[in-house]
Amino acid sequence: MQFHITQIRYILILIASISLIGCEKNVTVEIPKADEQIVVEGYIETGQYPFVILSKTLPFFGSINTSTTSLLANTVTGALITLNDGTTIDTLNQLAGIDYGIYSTVRMRGEVGKTYSLTISVNGKTLKAVTSIPNPVVLDSVWWKVDGQRDSLGFAWAHLTDPDTLGNCYRWFAQRINHYTYGDDIGKIKDSTFIAPQGSVFEDKFFNARSFDINAIRGQFLNSQKEDDQNEERIFFKRGDTIVLKFCSIDRSHFEFWRTEETQVGNNGNPFGSPAPITSNIEGGLGIWGGYATTFDTIIAR
Amino acid sequence: MSGFVKEDETGESLLGTNVYLKENLKGTSTNQYGFYSITVPEGKYTLVVSYLGFVTQEFPIELTKDLRINVNLKSTAIESKEVTISAERDDRNVESIDMGKDKIEVEKIKQLPAFMGEVDILKTIQLLPGVQSAGEGNSGFYVRGGGPDQNLILLDEANVYNASHLFGFFSVFNADAVQNITLTKGGMPANYGGRLASVLDIQMKEGNNKKFSAEGGIGFVSSRLTIQGPIKKDTGSFIISGRRTFIDLFFGPPFVKKSSNIYGNKYYFYDLNAKVNYRLSDRDRLFISGYFGRDVFRYKSPDSDFFVRVPWGNTTATLRWNHLFNNKLFMNTSLIYTDYQFEFEGGQDAFSFKLFSGITDYNLKSDINWLPNVRHNVKFGGQYIFHVFVPSNASAKSGDIVFDLGKILRNYAHDGMIYINDEFDLSKTIKLNGGLRYTLFQQIGPFDRFVRSPINGNVTDTLHYDAGENVKTYSHVEPRISGRLSLSPKSSLKASYTQNYQYIHLASLSGISLPTDTWIPSTDKVKPQFGTQYALGYFRNFKNNTYETSLEVYYKEMKNQVEYEEGFLPENTVNDNIDNNFVYGKGWSYGAELFLKKAKGNFSGWIGYTIAWTKRQFDDLNQGKTFYAKYDRRHDVSVVMTYELGNRWVFGATWIYATGNLNTFPQRLYVLSNGNVVEDYGGQRNNYRLPSYHRLDISATIKSKPGKKFESSWNFSIFNVYNRYNPYIIYFDKKFEENSIEIQAKQISLFPMIPSVTYNFKF
Repeated sequence: MQFHITQIRYILILIASISLIGCEKNVTVEIPKADEQIVVEGYIETGQYPFVILSKTLPFFGSINTSTTSLLANTVTGALITLNDGTTIDTLNQLAGIDYGIYSTVRMRGEVGKTYSLTISVNGKTLKAVTSIPNPVVLDSVWWKVDGQRDSLGFAWAHLTDPDTLGNCYRWFAQRINHYTYGDDIGKIKDSTFIAPQGSVFEDKFFNARSFDINAIRGQFLNSQKEDDQNEERIFFKRGDTIVLKFCSIDRSHFEFWRTEETQVGNNGNPFGSPAPITSNIEGGLGIWGGYATTFDTIIAR
Repeated sequence: MSGFVKEDETGESLLGTNVYLKENLKGTSTNQYGFYSITVPEGKYTLVVSYLGFVTQEFPIELTKDLRINVNLKSTAIESKEVTISAERDDRNVESIDMGKDKIEVEKIKQLPAFMGEVDILKTIQLLPGVQSAGEGNSGFYVRGGGPDQNLILLDEANVYNASHLFGFFSVFNADAVQNITLTKGGMPANYGGRLASVLDIQMKEGNNKKFSAEGGIGFVSSRLTIQGPIKKDTGSFIISGRRTFIDLFFGPPFVKKSSNIYGNKYYFYDLNAKVNYRLSDRDRLFISGYFGRDVFRYKSPDSDFFVRVPWGNTTATLRWNHLFNNKLFMNTSLIYTDYQFEFEGGQDAFSFKLFSGITDYNLKSDINWLPNVRHNVKFGGQYIFHVFVPSNASAKSGDIVFDLGKILRNYAHDGMIYINDEFDLSKTIKLNGGLRYTLFQQIGPFDRFVRSPINGNVTDTLHYDAGENVKTYSHVEPRISGRLSLSPKSSLKASYTQNYQYIHLASLSGISLPTDTWIPSTDKVKPQFGTQYALGYFRNFKNNTYETSLEVYYKEMKNQVEYEEGFLPENTVNDNIDNNFVYGKGWSYGAELFLKKAKGNFSGWIGYTIAWTKRQFDDLNQGKTFYAKYDRRHDVSVVMTYELGNRWVFGATWIYATGNLNTFPQRLYVLSNGNVVEDYGGQRNNYRLPSYHRLDISATIKSKPGKKFESSWNFSIFNVYNRYNPYIIYFDKKFEENSIEIQAKQISLFPMIPSVTYNFKF
């Protein structure tokens, strides 16, 4: 369902303009300087401690330093963060021993069915957000299948039975936990963390209460320099991989954030992209406060 | 006395011809069908019939009873040089009550530079003051701050919902098949309506009822052929005109290699215009006309199963009956069908996806023109349209599994109106035009209204309406009034007040009009658009009407304007009403238009200058603050010149200048923990103005020696003579390095200097 009408439109115009004689040049664009805003990125998963990263927005132009050091230096420290799960209120503290804006608590873990309200006080501003952990939906079965005529590459598949209540939203992650036996990274674990592919979120508007097969490509980090993110293995899982699927149920505002984020990232650099703003659930700032009802499955690709 | 005025050579009706009595200068001009009527006391008069470009004729008459005088005017071009044109009454722009109205002769358009050799009516009207083009690659036009959906485009009375080919590079009107073009941008009389901004009324040629002839041409992108002739001499005639592009022939071997990235593309468009007319009796005339045009784009990947197929286009058909009850009462009744369809089909392997939208109208209208005496010109009539809208719908399947992309949603509506309009002379110097229009619009079932929860946006309920059941009814009275005060024989002051309701809306994602934009009616949620316009104008002619000048100022308000809500994505319309995704606001626009025209002589042309402001305010956009519309344009200049050298050469030039369009650019960036770098727009709209647009085009046309049966001409045009790189789009290129991202703004320009040659023939 990744075939968006917007994309269709780009294809149309793009092809039309390729066939004509266009030209492109660098220009300088001057936009009035915008003030800085606080960006919240925080999650709470079933059985896990909540955490929140606070950072600042960056100016739009020129060169942006994306090294880990620089990004950590851009985080916001000294915030007062409280989390209310409906029965108790707890404080999220800055991680001990570091001077970065990453906050957590070990006194609270994500529970299915609960609603979590976050309040952040920082630099004289108050930011608020609410998320929930909905009931998880467990995949019926999972497998790996060779794609078309390819010989050892394929996608991860699953059979999903959607509950008959409308409004279920899902997000899909995968991680290959086996190690490279070939290539530059030989001996290293294939994926160090769960990766959500482009098109990782979907809702049951199209298939409420139906039972059907879904599949997903293998995701990669933006601008990944890894060998198998560049060559013919790109987007595929390979025979022999051990794939852990993390299939999550999420609430609607959490879904809206990722859906709009993926649209914007998908449009990136597309000259015909109309503005694709991201829908945030943070009142007074940008970003996401999201709950995940997680389920896990493992596939051995063979 | 009354009668019809026609062109002698072809038998085509001449509309807007001046018909008056020399003795008292009382007169009128012919209506849309070339009919005129003058009522005066009995006596001796001299009837003068004049039309620019034709030899003026005078008839001494003795009026004792009702007279029918049909006149055939001869073109000055056909007459030999010795015939001098007698003093014409060509002060029409000063004398008439019309303001904000322009009539363009197709023959004039053909002498102007043409982009890639394609003579384009829509491009030419954009050279008039108050009419803005949206830039290259876009034939949508913007009149006095209104959107492209606020223009009523009529081809032989049939609505044309999408007037462009190839995403706006060319218009659907084949100039060879067109007789007259009239644009009304202000002071709209009561017989027109349904749109806030303008009416572009295009009439197809009727066909030569004297002899058979053929004309055609070959240009860079298309070839054309028109055949016309009598069915029965002086009684009936036909015309059929076709046009097709041939660029697709160059997209396959041997021109494009299979390895090329454009291999597998196929794009073409074609148009077919046809018209038949027959005089049943001296009082009755029947017309049947039609238009059929399609754009087809196909792509098939050479090395995978991926394919795309996109056809879209308009179909119109008009059956029209002119009837003359008596010398003072003229009637025109039409039965009209209009259809616009867009389809997109794509797929790979077992997966396929189809998207479609469209609109179909069934229309019956009748207009009566009553000329009780020389001081009054009364028009009244009514219209009924049944609309069927198919807003964006989709279907998808993978193998045998059909995805549930929702029911095909349609909207049905009754659309009716009646009007009366009287143009009359109040005194020697004051002329008034008053009109009333009553409109009724009813959305009916079958219809499902999805009710969304305001909290989480989920559809919580569905209201079902049965076939024919009333969903929502709107009715309004629209008053129109305009007046002219003659200050002297050479100057006049005009004023107008217009109210308009518009019951259909175009939902556009990008602000550029594209075939994917969908039309939707006013519904229980979408209120009709409402516009009010005040205009004031001063008109003055100089040097025996050689120079025509005018200055018009206007102020316009538009209510119930529609935009998609922020963050809208097209798939949001699946299993939902498209109008659940709208936000509503208002707009206003004001400005001044200066027009200077040299109407006569070997050297002719005009200069138009517009200064304007166009604003919008939506509670849910731009944080509720007022913002400038995308096509808000402070300055707009056009210069149009033609020069006739001898009787074989015509040179043309156009120069346009326009303030740049507005764009929405991001304000900040932030980095997410998954490594994505994303943009924040801060809820702002149209915060950046693109560089200004200007361009010079020139042309030269050489005609074959006059007097031969086979006429031909070569037109040489150069588009964008000084090769200005006008901005089409500015986008931001992000270059990812290991530890940094470089952001660079890039500008895409579509057309550099492009020369073209077109060969035309006629016999």
